[in-house]
Amino acid sequence: MTPALLVFCYALAVAWFLPPLLTRLTRYGIGPRLGLTAWVTAMGSVLASAALALQFLIRAAVAGWPRLSEVVCRSVAGGACTPVVYRSALFEAALGAAAVTAALTAAALAWSYGRRTQRARRRTRAHAAAARITGRQLPGTGAVVLDAPRPAAYCVPGRPAAIVVTSAALAVLDAAQLGAVLAHERAHLAGRHHALITLTRGFAAAFPSVPLFTRGPAQVARLAEMRADDAAARRSGRRTLVAALLAIGTGTAVPAVSLPATALAATGGAVTARVQRLLEPPHRGRLTGYAAALAAVMLLLVVAAGLITAYAAR
Amino acid sequence: MRGFGDLETVVMHRVWDHAGPVTVRELFDELRQERPIAYTTVMTTMDNLHKKGWLAREKEGKAYRYEATASRGEYSARLMREALADGGDTEAVLSHFVAQMDGEESKVLRSVLQRLSGRRPE
Repeated sequence: MTPALLVFCYALAVAWFLPPLLTRLTRYGIGPRLGLTAWVTAMGSVLASAALALQFLIRAAVAGWPRLSEVVCRSVAGGACTPVVYRSALFEAALGAAAVTAALTAAALAWSYGRRTQRARRRTRAHAAAARITGRQLPGTGAVVLDAPRPAAYCVPGRPAAIVVTSAALAVLDAAQLGAVLAHERAHLAGRHHALITLTRGFAAAFPSVPLFTRGPAQVARLAEMRADDAAARRSGRRTLVAALLAIGTGTAVPAVSLPATALAATGGAVTARVQRLLEPPHRGRLTGYAAALAAVMLLLVVAAGLITAYAAR
Repeated sequence: MRGFGDLETVVMHRVWDHAGPVTVRELFDELRQERPIAYTTVMTTMDNLHKKGWLAREKEGKAYRYEATASRGEYSARLMREALADGGDTEAVLSHFVAQMDGEESKVLRSVLQRLSGRRPE
């Protein structure tokens, strides 16, 4: 197989066949940071190999136009490529058109991606600044309170970043639960989760039909929540965090609770999944197994990319 | 607490606390009761807030009278709309402690809550 084709096939395989596997391996949010790394590594490896394939094409083009059609023709069709085919004006014209289209598409994708992320960053920073001016300072926390009838808490990166808690949320949280909420939001900011989400959303917009990129943002967001949950649970305890989740989620104050003995309904959405995960953390053995599987997948990605690059560079 | 951003916050909250338009001098007189501050600092801050669209001003004699372009409540509501509207297609990247839930999930969580607190469903 020729280098360009090999690299391209690798990118396709990772982009199409890896998402289901990664979704399975990260389903229970075991080792959310490892899961996040795996998703981002996979995306990076697909983009890098696509760029590599493009580079082979460009290199072939630079190698000389007179021979270009022959080179491309052979790199795709190998021995089946005869002079009759690659010397025809039609083939050359098609090749030229394909090259121009590919270059224009790549440029358009890069431009739309840059514009999108720039706009997101601007809006986000403006929101943080506006929240800091409008809100009341919550003493000793660095968070601001907005008067709003709906319980909510969120964080916005910016210079400086803002953690926003609504007055309605404050009304249903006790001090310990508020601590858990703030720890959760601080973990998002410290882990730069917004950047990850902006990045993956940008990819999804640029490649709207590639499963790895379309599925990525939701999975990254889910794992980022779990990662922040883990940080908050370490600081405030799982019980307090669950109480805070339920309080904000339902808009009702939740007194100090005892962990329930029974499992939650399996039909729930993302929040239910988080609550369930906090109340019934997976076994240690299972944890190690999933982490090992994830690490193996990532190792495989890196080794495959290395082998392909080495082979292609020969 | 002495950062320029913080001063903008302080000034805006002062302006909102006033019933009507306010001059730089009036605000300066209030602020210097609490902290050492220069008149020009207050003036620059209010000018910045005007440029950023937070304050509207009207010339009265030699001085400007400043007024908030929207009430604190309106700004809060606007921010909340922006924060909660994030359904994946808007650009604002805000991370919610609890994502927006559909009715079904909210019901499930409520039932969990009732079980946890040992109350009967109402």
